[in-house]
Amino acid sequence: MSKPVIGFAGMTHLGLVSAAAAAAKGFSTVAFDSDPARVAALSAGKLHVVEPELDATIAAAGRLRFVDSAAELSGCDLIYVAPDVPTDDQGSSDLSGVEALLDTVRSAARSDAVIVILSQVPPGFTRRRATGDRGLFCQVETLVFGRAVARALKPERIIVGASDPVLDLPAPYAAFLASFACPVLRMRYESAELAKIAINCFLVASVSTTNMLAELCEKIGADWGEIAPALRLDARIGPHAYLAPGLGIAGGNLERDLATIGRLSAAAGTDACVARSWQVNSGRRRDWVLRILHETVLGDRDPLIAVLGLAYKENTHSTKNSPALRLIRQLAPFRLSVFDPVVGSEAVSFHGRTTVASAPLKACHDAQALCIMTPWPAFRQLAPAAIAAAMRGRLVVDPHGLLDNASARASGLDHRVLGRPARG
Amino acid sequence: MFELVQQQPSRPQRVVVMGAGGFVGASVVRQLRAEGIDVSPLTRREVDLLSDDAAQGLADRLKPSDCLVFISAVAPARTAAQLADNVAMARSACEALGRVKVAHLVYLSSDAVYADDASLVTEASCLRPAGLHGAMHVAREAMMASTQVPLCILRPTAIYGASDPHNSYGPNRFRRQAAAAQDIVLFGGGEEMRDHIAIDDVAALLSLCIQHRAKGILNAATGESASFRQVAELVAAASGQPARIVETPRQAPITHRHFDTARLIAAFPRFAFTRLSGGLAAAGAAAKGSPSS
Repeated sequence: MSKPVIGFAGMTHLGLVSAAAAAAKGFSTVAFDSDPARVAALSAGKLHVVEPELDATIAAAGRLRFVDSAAELSGCDLIYVAPDVPTDDQGSSDLSGVEALLDTVRSAARSDAVIVILSQVPPGFTRRRATGDRGLFCQVETLVFGRAVARALKPERIIVGASDPVLDLPAPYAAFLASFACPVLRMRYESAELAKIAINCFLVASVSTTNMLAELCEKIGADWGEIAPALRLDARIGPHAYLAPGLGIAGGNLERDLATIGRLSAAAGTDACVARSWQVNSGRRRDWVLRILHETVLGDRDPLIAVLGLAYKENTHSTKNSPALRLIRQLAPFRLSVFDPVVGSEAVSFHGRTTVASAPLKACHDAQALCIMTPWPAFRQLAPAAIAAAMRGRLVVDPHGLLDNASARASGLDHRVLGRPARG
Repeated sequence: MFELVQQQPSRPQRVVVMGAGGFVGASVVRQLRAEGIDVSPLTRREVDLLSDDAAQGLADRLKPSDCLVFISAVAPARTAAQLADNVAMARSACEALGRVKVAHLVYLSSDAVYADDASLVTEASCLRPAGLHGAMHVAREAMMASTQVPLCILRPTAIYGASDPHNSYGPNRFRRQAAAAQDIVLFGGGEEMRDHIAIDDVAALLSLCIQHRAKGILNAATGESASFRQVAELVAAASGQPARIVETPRQAPITHRHFDTARLIAAFPRFAFTRLSGGLAAAGAAAKGSPSS
């Protein structure tokens, strides 16, 4: 058979990156979004999503067509429904968007087209929406902000949820998945939907264990940076384990999955105390920077605090659940000077005493304290001596340890890093 | 949850302090007056909350624009009768608030509402009082909440100060022992870690809660715990007396208590706590200056 035509509906982060990957694999790809302005911008090469290699991937693919009419999906053999699913503060998903888009796609698609829900939906969702009259599948997305294109082009495995996992996949779907040359695991809908949550639970377990021990390190004179390499060499833990301490678990998706586990367990009468503990630990570590500032400079007379990084992590424009913005909200009464290589001043417009600097060292100028909140690679290049010269105070709160600790101390800075004793 | 209804502080028209005669109440009155706030202090002399006409007596003294700070208690509640009396006092207050709904209600609770073995305490920690005193505060918190008046609950950790009438184990007893040139006697080696807060800090936090019209629950703790041995050493050093610190055989297993004060710091990021060393020295000096206390 000729190569199937692939459709994607919903051109937010997940849909855009996935469509770009499909086109890069050589498939004719139709990328639909109901927002004409967004489609016009994408057609003109203006992306609202920042991901390494995304621009180049789209530019090189050539087979990617952005459309704002759902009718154009009628030419597709396989259609992914892939809008980002928003979550609220409680980690609840707003599924109305994916529900509506699924309806739109079903109306527009040919009767023999295969439809795949790529957005993350809670267990039970796909079975509820399956009507039995045509192929409906769910596929687990493993989007990682900042590494989305690489992972979309070269997934480690593909997880497919089917009404009946014993049946062969429809030909267009099988042909498309084969292009990724990785294991394809078929399972029932509920298993696939829970598999995504299971993956995230194991990541959270690693991060939370790291965070718990990092705090203890800070208090008893141990250094997590010395311990982590020993764990990586343990085959049961592994070289890629999440052993970097963080400011709790952030980003929204992991929190959503823990909230989902809580709801499912409550309804099913199973134990979820472990997941609850992860949430509690995350909440505590989230305020690590604020605690240090409170212990040190917040009692000073109108201190100026410098904040480097606004994005929730490096290589992304996303500020959703960003630790930096959380800190900035908590520092409402104080003067701030901020810098981020990608995120614009509109992200901090809620704070009335913020100056947005044009360069990292300019943000540090005259500051009593510096907080490096996003681990952008560029911040690693900052010379501690230059920071020390620019600042008025000595405190550098560097949760991710971007600056070299020895150089920072040699420059007279009070350099605080997650998992390391204050003066260690 | 905890929220500052008013981001910018402002003085309420008047604060009625019920229980103004006690250790905490007197300090709160002093603090509020120092900040220029109109205070109406009420003690058992004005309103006996255990009397038959207590509810009306208190209601007669309230205006809808008032902030009511409710501190009155028979504390610590050690017997069933004391528990019942404390609940009856709160009932009088609730009935008064049913007649005159004030603008803001601040209830002074206690960290005794948490489990004895709760080591890292937050406002979300489980309420599992080990004794009648904690059970009393749990009940009274719920009673206050039932009034539907905008409510702030403050749960202080162990409070110390020169005029504390109680002589319970800790800074106040150690100070008296040192002042009387007696040994400071520790349980075991005094290993237990506790968070001790100066009375002036509690009063200042309460004032902030009033001026921001705070709603919700806030632990009043410093976030820094010290062992009883460290407290004893600080007290001994501050006393100027050659106080000896004596260990005794341990009767109970060691438990520690620390507070995660993230909520307090987030609400009042400028608030600076009295350091334990300075606070204990000040309490010692103040006690020397007022022999009646």
